[in-house]
Amino acid sequence: MKNEQLVYQNEEKEKRAAELVIANKELAFQNQEKAKRAAELTIANKELAFQNEEKGKRAAELTIANKELAFQNEEKGKRAAELTLADKELAFQNEEKGKRAAELTIAGKELAFQNEEKGKRAAELTIANKELAFQNEEKGKRSAELTIANNELLFQNKEKEKRAAELTIANKELAFQNEEKGKRAAELTIANKELAFQNKEKEKRAAELTIANKELLFQNKEKEKRAAELIIAHEELLYQNAEKEKRAAELIIANKELAFQNEEKEKRAAELTIANRELLFQNEEKEKRAAELIIANKELAFQNQEKEKRAAELNSANNELKKAEDDIHKLNEELEQKVIERTEQLVAANKELESFSYSVSHDLRTPLRLVHGYTRILKEDYGINLDTEANRLMNNIISNAKKMGQLIDDLLTFSRLGRKELVKMNIPVSSMVTTLCSEIKNENGNRNIEFKINELQPAKGDNAAIKQVWVNLISNAVKYSKLTEKAIIEIGCETKENEIIYFIKDNGDGFDMRYADKLFGMFQRLHTDEKFEGTGVGLAIVHRIISKHGGSVWAEAKVNEGATFNFSLPK
Amino acid sequence: MKQENEILVAESTETELLLVTDNDNDILLVEDNDGDAEMTIRALKKHNLANHLLHLKDGAQALDFLFAEGGYSGRQVENTPKIILLDLKMPKVNGKEVLKRIKSDPRTRKIPVVILSSSKEDPDIEQCYDLGANGYVVKPVEFDLFHKVVSELGLFWMIVNQPPQ
Repeated sequence: MKNEQLVYQNEEKEKRAAELVIANKELAFQNQEKAKRAAELTIANKELAFQNEEKGKRAAELTIANKELAFQNEEKGKRAAELTLADKELAFQNEEKGKRAAELTIAGKELAFQNEEKGKRAAELTIANKELAFQNEEKGKRSAELTIANNELLFQNKEKEKRAAELTIANKELAFQNEEKGKRAAELTIANKELAFQNKEKEKRAAELTIANKELLFQNKEKEKRAAELIIAHEELLYQNAEKEKRAAELIIANKELAFQNEEKEKRAAELTIANRELLFQNEEKEKRAAELIIANKELAFQNQEKEKRAAELNSANNELKKAEDDIHKLNEELEQKVIERTEQLVAANKELESFSYSVSHDLRTPLRLVHGYTRILKEDYGINLDTEANRLMNNIISNAKKMGQLIDDLLTFSRLGRKELVKMNIPVSSMVTTLCSEIKNENGNRNIEFKINELQPAKGDNAAIKQVWVNLISNAVKYSKLTEKAIIEIGCETKENEIIYFIKDNGDGFDMRYADKLFGMFQRLHTDEKFEGTGVGLAIVHRIISKHGGSVWAEAKVNEGATFNFSLPK
Repeated sequence: MKQENEILVAESTETELLLVTDNDNDILLVEDNDGDAEMTIRALKKHNLANHLLHLKDGAQALDFLFAEGGYSGRQVENTPKIILLDLKMPKVNGKEVLKRIKSDPRTRKIPVVILSSSKEDPDIEQCYDLGANGYVVKPVEFDLFHKVVSELGLFWMIVNQPPQ
């Protein structure tokens, strides 16, 4: 029991060692793969970093271009603002000019109105003047008439004086005659007196007329003065009119000039408006473009950000990978260290096992041999004197000691397999199997066995170990078909891409597939010893050898319908 | 029987000539296990090969005997056994060391030495051949086989094999 345990431990340790070696290889391969991937990632990262750099450069260029654009926009904005201001100023000036033009128009109108008024007044004055002139003329005429009348009166007066004188004479004569006529004189005096009165009245009237004349003269003079004044005023008015006309003309010219200027200004304003619109349009376009650029910039910034994010992510992923790699490296180193340690431990354990198996083989076999030997001697020397039961018991001791010897031998074979290095070479499987089959057939001469050996591909492996596999499997097939009248054992192979699968098919007892997993275990048996003797080590040995070769072994069977054992070997 | 042999050896100095002639069949069995020794001797006896057999229980004794040292100082070294059956695993001086001494001394070098081991797993098997072992026999567990092996071994070395001289 202890022995079995030990062997089992041994097997486990060897399995673990093999697993560790495989795990180590796998790890090495993974490391290699990871190193490759890390290298690829490093390259990808560098590329990304380079792209990022390029993008960063472009972003920087764009940022500069954007800044320039922003600056240009600003400048344009400023210029637009200036233009707007200039425009406003112009508009204001235009407005002012319009106002002034309006004022001038109004002033012009006023002037025109004043001119008109003045014209009217001048006309009125002219009419008044003409009237005055006419009145003056009339007055002159009247004064001339008056002068004539005066002159007439004067003449009449002279005539009257003459007559008065004549009358005086006539009077004297008359006085005389008066005297004479005395009567008549009185009468005449009265007539005289009357005449005198009449004269007086006439003188009074002449004086009045003189006064009136004088008045008329004064009036005439006044009128002349006034006419002169009127003439002067007229002249002045004329002058003023002329001045006003000049001024009006000047104003008209100024107005025209203003109108021209206004026109020019309007033109310019229109031009400016157009220019302004154009500028506005350009500004708009530029703003659009700036907006587009801002959007593009934002997009770029976003893309940059995304790329940076991605780069950061990649970086972090890379770092993580690196870390993972480092970890793996560490782990690997640790594992390697562990493997080294384990290997050392295993080597030590193996050495221990070696000495152990030596001990087992040496020290266990010796007493066993002696048990067997002494029982044999007992039977030989005293068997005749002992009864049947004693002989039966002795036989049992002998057979069990023998079986234990076989077990120890198998165990040692199994253990040796684990320690022995495989020497791989090309194995002519076909001839090997043919030879083995005929040997086994000879050993079982009393049995009816038919071997069907198909063409078998050569294998690569340890000759002795593979031979052991074939021996065990063919022996098994023969053993488990011993209850069949005619054992038919078919051996063949199938070539796959990377491996060759060999099979041994028998028509023997088979086994229950439920226990298939137990088949290859140490000391595992699916049959009783009475039915089929065995130690349960043969298939464990097969499993160990095939595993060591990197192949696998499996079986298919049905109870009473035979079994097929397959094993694969890498090409 | 052991006694008999030991006495025989002890007397060897005086009865040298007799011993030399008697020692034509001499077998030196170096075996620490009495049982094994008994089995071996029994097997040899069956074929009358154990008449002049000396059984020594360890390597030190074997060396003393072979090189006439210690308790065997009166012995003639040249008076060699015909065959030495040497167990490997022994206390004090093991079989390998004994073999080394035998094969490195010109006086004893020619004695055939057959290693009797309990196991084919012995790690020293190759070394034994390197050191000059003339044979390596694994003692079978099964008595009949063991018997057969030892008998054949004895017959071969004692009768079939032609030693130098």
